[in-house]
Amino acid sequence: MNVQVNRTVIEIFEGAQAQHAVLRYLVRRRLSKSLLTQGRIFDAWGHEIGLDAPLHEGQTIKFKK
Amino acid sequence: MKKLFLTLAAVCLLGAAAFAEKKEVHIISVNDMHGKIENFPQLAAIVDSMRAVYPDLLVISAGDNRTGEPLNDLYEIPAYPMVMLMNMVGFHATTMGNHEFDSGAAGLGKLMGMSGFSYICANLQPNPELGVVPRPTQIFDVNGVKVGFVGAVEINDRMTPDTHPDNVVGLTFTPVLETLEKYKGLRDECDVVIFLSHIGYEADVEISKDLPWVDVIIGGHSHTQIAGGEMHNGLMITQVTNRLKRVTHITITVEDGKVVGRKAENIEVEGYPKQNPVVAEVVRYFSDNPEFQRVLATLTAPMTSYEQLGCMMTDAWRVETGSDIAFTNTGGVRYDSLPAGPFTVSDVLRLDPFGNDTVQLELTGQELKDMLIATTYNDTYGFPKVSGIICNVIFDKKNPEKIKELKITNPDGSKFDLKKKYKVVTNSYTASIADSPRKDQGRALNRTTASIIQEYLEHQGTIDYTGVERTFQSVSKK
Repeated sequence: MNVQVNRTVIEIFEGAQAQHAVLRYLVRRRLSKSLLTQGRIFDAWGHEIGLDAPLHEGQTIKFKK
Repeated sequence: MKKLFLTLAAVCLLGAAAFAEKKEVHIISVNDMHGKIENFPQLAAIVDSMRAVYPDLLVISAGDNRTGEPLNDLYEIPAYPMVMLMNMVGFHATTMGNHEFDSGAAGLGKLMGMSGFSYICANLQPNPELGVVPRPTQIFDVNGVKVGFVGAVEINDRMTPDTHPDNVVGLTFTPVLETLEKYKGLRDECDVVIFLSHIGYEADVEISKDLPWVDVIIGGHSHTQIAGGEMHNGLMITQVTNRLKRVTHITITVEDGKVVGRKAENIEVEGYPKQNPVVAEVVRYFSDNPEFQRVLATLTAPMTSYEQLGCMMTDAWRVETGSDIAFTNTGGVRYDSLPAGPFTVSDVLRLDPFGNDTVQLELTGQELKDMLIATTYNDTYGFPKVSGIICNVIFDKKNPEKIKELKITNPDGSKFDLKKKYKVVTNSYTASIADSPRKDQGRALNRTTASIIQEYLEHQGTIDYTGVERTFQSVSKK
């Protein structure tokens, strides 16, 4: 399925959680994976969501350090 | 003068009568607790304090009470600790979350029989044979105010919640909105109507425009932290983040049978200064779980390397999921030796402690090769551990982090077909960090990799990995 992390389209497995999409985003941007636990993840409405929040096709999330 | 006095008295009485009609409904709601039993002593203290002020307090969950915490999930009866603690706190109701089905329909039926609270889920058809008999709706009389609940769980394209398909065999689900429409008569029966939702925040917002007969949506599934409550299309939607970090206190004001006020605020659970001592003692009891010492298999010879343990892990995933090939990032193998003797549940949880999901993909040989290389580059612990193939990796002498050549062969030494399609399984972390070209990104099997290892060990009874080696690493001469 495709989701957007900080406007980058990420293709990730069905049933992925927010942390999986962010990990792929960090790898693609050649950023340290350790940032995952230092940052916060928000949905398209600006609400914080958990690392293990389930994702669905077409969802947009933001990762902020 | 007498007439004036009587008039004033009548006005006062009328005013008092009008005030008497204004009543408040108080609810403590949680969602996506995911087996976080450690926070129950604080939750119980919060509920105790609230009940002292509001004796008719309702305590409600929007589902996913279980899964994600070994103390709960690995209990002799999986998820029993959560049910027991929810009983102690005095929950009134929960809806079904997709993880409520993680022990299969029979496991859920058993837990429902032990629950002192009701399961409200309109889009799950009851199956009395399995003991799965949710209510579509429930009406609570709260100090003379009728509060009606209707519940629903998310369903995917397969028309089931997101759990392993085997877990919902024998159960039938119906579309959420279509089902809810059947129960809009609750509006006529009740002063307050609440949709207890496990469909996620975005779906809650979307569906709110079709539910003018609902006052409040108590939501779950997406782990969305809403500051108190939010108004959308005339409804108030609430939800908090996962693992019982917070709860929501909802106050609904009713006057003459109509909702005239809705507000919600969050209460921090983690860090709450008080604990219920009885609940704390029960949590301590559950934390000392003898299940962790259960022997799954016997090691007839010691394991002495990451390679051997990685081979065992990936064998487990390959065999138990019926796949052709399995691999894990080396960082996913958390210790490098284990003495001969019993291999316990605790040993498995130390070996694979991350709660990773299992991901199955269909890959060509070339796509697998690319994925193995991408995993090596993005995991800091080197080339993956594998099952179903043998790998010879040659690193570049000039740039030791770069793979100069990767030769894959079948276990019998024959040539590995790069064009053939293989069913491949790995963990969710590896599937995420391996950013390589492939047509299929795979799908989560909704089973932790650790639970699959446990299953494999139980099936094997005895294991011996003496001399087992499948990845051979060297450095190029030039």
